[in-house]
Amino acid sequence: MQTHFTPTQLQDPGTARANDILRACVHCGFCTATCPTYQVLGDELDSPRGRIYLIKDMLENNRVPDAKTVKHIDRCLSCLACMSTCPSGVHYMHLVDHAREYIENTYRRPLGERLLRWVLARILPHPKRFRVALLLAQIGRPFARLIPDARLRAMLAMAPRSLPPVSRNDDPQSFAPKAPRKMRVALMTGCAQKALNTDINDATIRLLTRLGCEVVVPKGAGCCGALTHHMGKTDESHQSAARNIRAWAAEMDGQGLDAIVINTSGCGTTIKDYGHMFRTSPLAADAQRVSAIAMDISEVLIKLDLPHATTAPALTVAYHAACSLQHGQQIKDHPKTLLKRAGFRVVEPADSHLCCGSAGTFNLMQPEISAQLKARKLATLQARNPDVIAAGNIGCMMQIGSAAGVPVVHTVELLDWATGGPVPPAMGATQPGHAPSLPSAMAVPILR
Amino acid sequence: MHPTSEADLAEAIATAKGALRIQGGATRDIGAPVIGTPLSTQAMDGIVEYEPGALTLVARAGTPLAQIEAALAAEGQRLPFEPMDHRPVLGTTGTPTIGGVVAANVSGPRRVQVGACRDFLLGARFVDGAGRVLKNGGRVMKNVTGYDLVKLMAGSFGTLGVITEVSFKVLPIPETQVTLAFSGHDPARAVVTMAAALSSPFEVSGAAWVQGQTLLRLEGMERSVAYRVGALAQRLQPFGQADHIQGTAANTLWQTIRDAGALVGCETLWRVSLKPSDAPAFLAAVDPEQQLKCQIDWGGGLIWLGAQTAENAANTHARLRAEIATLGGHVTMLKAPTALRTSLAVFQPEPPATAALARALRHRFDPKAILNPGLMG
Amino acid sequence: MEMPAPNPAVLALKPRLVARLQEVLAPDAVIHDEAETRAYECDALTAYRCPPLCAVLPSTTQQVSDVLRICHEMGVPVVPRGSGTSLAGGALPTADSVILGVARMNDVLEVDYDNRFVRVQSGRTNLSVTGAVEADGFFYAPDPSSQLACAISGNIAMNSGGAHCLKYGVTTNNLLGVTLVLMDGTVLELGGAHMDAPGLDFLGVICGSEGQLGVVTEATLRILPKPEGARPVLMGYDSNEVAGQVVSDIIKAGVLPVAIEFMDRPCIRATEAFAKAGYPDCEALLIVEVEGSADEIDEQLALITAIARRHNPVELREAADEEQARRIWLGRKSAFGAMGQINDYMCLDGTIPVSQLPYVLRRIGEMSKDYGLGVGNVFHAGDGNMHPLILFDANKPGDLELCEAFGADILRLCVEVGGCLTGEHGVGIEKRDLMVDQFAPDDLDIQMAVKDVFDPKWLLNPAKVFPLAASEPRRQAQIAAE
Repeated sequence: MQTHFTPTQLQDPGTARANDILRACVHCGFCTATCPTYQVLGDELDSPRGRIYLIKDMLENNRVPDAKTVKHIDRCLSCLACMSTCPSGVHYMHLVDHAREYIENTYRRPLGERLLRWVLARILPHPKRFRVALLLAQIGRPFARLIPDARLRAMLAMAPRSLPPVSRNDDPQSFAPKAPRKMRVALMTGCAQKALNTDINDATIRLLTRLGCEVVVPKGAGCCGALTHHMGKTDESHQSAARNIRAWAAEMDGQGLDAIVINTSGCGTTIKDYGHMFRTSPLAADAQRVSAIAMDISEVLIKLDLPHATTAPALTVAYHAACSLQHGQQIKDHPKTLLKRAGFRVVEPADSHLCCGSAGTFNLMQPEISAQLKARKLATLQARNPDVIAAGNIGCMMQIGSAAGVPVVHTVELLDWATGGPVPPAMGATQPGHAPSLPSAMAVPILR
Repeated sequence: MHPTSEADLAEAIATAKGALRIQGGATRDIGAPVIGTPLSTQAMDGIVEYEPGALTLVARAGTPLAQIEAALAAEGQRLPFEPMDHRPVLGTTGTPTIGGVVAANVSGPRRVQVGACRDFLLGARFVDGAGRVLKNGGRVMKNVTGYDLVKLMAGSFGTLGVITEVSFKVLPIPETQVTLAFSGHDPARAVVTMAAALSSPFEVSGAAWVQGQTLLRLEGMERSVAYRVGALAQRLQPFGQADHIQGTAANTLWQTIRDAGALVGCETLWRVSLKPSDAPAFLAAVDPEQQLKCQIDWGGGLIWLGAQTAENAANTHARLRAEIATLGGHVTMLKAPTALRTSLAVFQPEPPATAALARALRHRFDPKAILNPGLMG
Repeated sequence: MEMPAPNPAVLALKPRLVARLQEVLAPDAVIHDEAETRAYECDALTAYRCPPLCAVLPSTTQQVSDVLRICHEMGVPVVPRGSGTSLAGGALPTADSVILGVARMNDVLEVDYDNRFVRVQSGRTNLSVTGAVEADGFFYAPDPSSQLACAISGNIAMNSGGAHCLKYGVTTNNLLGVTLVLMDGTVLELGGAHMDAPGLDFLGVICGSEGQLGVVTEATLRILPKPEGARPVLMGYDSNEVAGQVVSDIIKAGVLPVAIEFMDRPCIRATEAFAKAGYPDCEALLIVEVEGSADEIDEQLALITAIARRHNPVELREAADEEQARRIWLGRKSAFGAMGQINDYMCLDGTIPVSQLPYVLRRIGEMSKDYGLGVGNVFHAGDGNMHPLILFDANKPGDLELCEAFGADILRLCVEVGGCLTGEHGVGIEKRDLMVDQFAPDDLDIQMAVKDVFDPKWLLNPAKVFPLAASEPRRQAQIAAE
């Protein structure tokens, strides 16, 4: 489209990047076809094309955004289905992230909203605080009806019924390979995931070491920054990211790394974007290095030779394609290929490109839309009559798992099982989310 | 009047003092009888342009259909919509013109697969009731420039204007054809057989039922037809064993179906258009004793009904209309004694809002109400 | 591009209008805030923009009827909108008009395989109509390139085509019935599951009337059984003339391909750089696709490749499997996106008689030099529907005007050789002024007379299709009557 930025405006790198992206958009509207909020709301303003238009107007005119503009941009899931669909290569993710930052810096939200966002930013990226919050949520659940705010109610409802004890596998350490060493990889242990579910990292470590990887949990790494980044709180997100960049760069410069393995695709998309995020920072070179070796667990497993043998029954697995994986990272086939190789029968739901409604904090901030998307996703998954649902992202697992009717596990748990690991706890009689099975783990029950 | 050119025709209409009865070859005497000065287009004839490589033919309205079909056949092409010859059933004589085909939107059995006359009409020139020479459409298949009045003119029976020239998309004549014939079918069995055939990927180009036989036509290249005939016969095994009819016998058969041959000699004739799967129920309701002559075409979507005499015509007419009102669709009284064609509504009466639109359209195209006034009701 | 000046009397009605609309629609279905109406200021033709008075998003036919009735009473123009993908400015509003968007009405209402039709709400996207029936082996044939996103309502308004229409026809040939709401709120049911019209062919004139005769809320569409298979063959030639001859010969041979696509050198090069589909660098490229069983495909392709070889192709490539077939189509399907990556472009869609292909391409090449603007041609060769893509720079002053002038010349050329201004996209605002090159004043008058009948007050999308000078008396009569 034709843009109208002044030379002064274009001196700001963020604005310059936004201008490039806006020029690429031809306003064709293809993106509306695959946008989940457009499917639900039918309003141009809640489609990528409409949001691009709002952002363009806001940035060109250096406007302090109004409440309506903010509302529509807040409603964006950042599922990035639009990027998969766009025939013109519009980098919507960079544009909407920049817009969120701009809004955070210029728009004064109502007090309640500000408070809520502040609380989420302070809690979710910090596992210890998050565990406390989840415990409080469990206590507060019976009183949910008394809470007037829909979002707070939604949050209470989302808290899982039981929580895993802290897994010591997530502490900084190194796991030796169980086969001749092929790779040395860092495991990104993340933040929210390990408070909600320790089975995923456990299975990842078992599987990778079984296949010949030395797996290191580097010191000093933590939240990738995605959550705060998508709220527009870029100072905080950059702080988190910088910590990770330093920690991983140190490891790369130390004993070396072949890959940084990420098993929450929501984080993977952000970590792969570190190069772009830090392009004008002193950390640019390290950020680039880190992004270059960041890989989703499925990418790493495809490189290693997953054996065709299986010690798991040939279950029907409905593969749920997380948005961050299929759209954000454009990884569509690896997880399915791996599951088939492991002997499972893989089926996919109709409209698999559509988001389940989890989308980071979206299910907390936009409960009505999230609920509609969740219902659609569940219906299409259940229509395939699966024995189990597999996904590559904790957010999706929590969203779908709460009402799926069948076990919901991470893809890596099934692959671990099929190559000699234990039955994923979510599928068995044991409590889901926290079955320790490595000798070095010291289970410390936090709540029963 | 026999104007020889468009300009003549325009003059004749502009200066007309009273109603005009527009005619081509006068072979399709359909509708409420029109009292008016006959105006024929027969002298405005001739193929204007024919490009086989572009599948396009342009001809003046008075050109005999036979001439057009011959010119096309010489290049191995044809009018795909298979226009019916009304002369046998209506008992008319004369030379059908291409203008008449368009004015009555005349199609045949192949309509079920490829579409009707109006679907192949690319453009038209016509003179409206004020004597203005007008054109719409053109010579190309893809044309969305302005409103599509070409479709409006097709099937307007001369009430919106006198067509002077038409452009058609034509198609190649396929190498060969084979017809599957199932015997001992009643309408119910026929319709399910035809539905199964038409839902198959084997490109059935004719699906009719007449005298207890369900007939399914397949056309195309030699090997293709052989394969499809086999595949279709196998798929339709639940409905019986089919005989194969080919060559001249098949051509004659479909020509007879096209011209509603089974109803030749009937004094009153109705043409029913409805949802194909409704055909058996419709027939059971209106003619439980099977006293009417009947032919089904278009997989069930077209029913020809005829009575030997005009004795109970009014009652039959009312019964048909009542039944179609519950099922949806329409009934046209195609042939009847003049008195009945005047007293009964020949064309299906439309809901008030739609009828108002039709009246208003006719008034704009024909302000003096001189073009076949009242023909369509 | 001139648009009628907004009527101040209507602008003054805004608060009252919004209040009345809010009474009949859901709370979030009336968009009237200036920050929000901007998103509805244009469709895919972004060169022309104007925010509407307000935009409404009804969910039922009754609501559409109520909206139109209210606007009719108050004398407010209405511009219908499907998915807003029109390349002709069909959904461009004026400041005093209401955008009526049907995007919330996208359900499948009825599927009937015995009678081979599907009934849908008109806001449903084209591809998702096929999506609703493909698991059972059926599809909806008209497939415009925007089919992923475009709505059936827009398809009906513009009588959309697509690559498959060579064999299966365009929207009007596949439309069995509509629920149409007139500007005064009257709801009509036209057509249905039966074939042929009972009287005058209203469906035929409504299809392609660009949202000027009524708002379609539901449509009955013909569905067809999916063919057993399809396979493309790719041919490269050193000259446009030869390629045009090949197309002609294939048609004359009696083979009916399901699609014949043509790309010229500039387009091939741009597409290769972007999609890397492995196309040869030649003057003209043809992709011909046939359908049927494996044997039938072989039979047809044997004939086609024999014809192709007779003309000494630079390259002749058949698809041995699905992946190769996909690669053959990859470039063609990414053509527009590829061109868009290098440049802003304007896409036209004039249609010409197939025999005129080489001549028109040569003339376009000459004009390209005269205007100093590059052109790539990609189009549906089987029916002569061209898509010249004129490259320009939207941010360079004067380029847009130059581009439009060039485009107008190309379209006049199309009419000159016996074709027409638009084969698929419709007139909208884009080709309004060129209508006088194709139609005489009386021809335009009789079309406008049809609108007079359906919408006597000329409130539905009044500024489209007809040159403003031609429609002025009728539009002014409405304003004067207020």
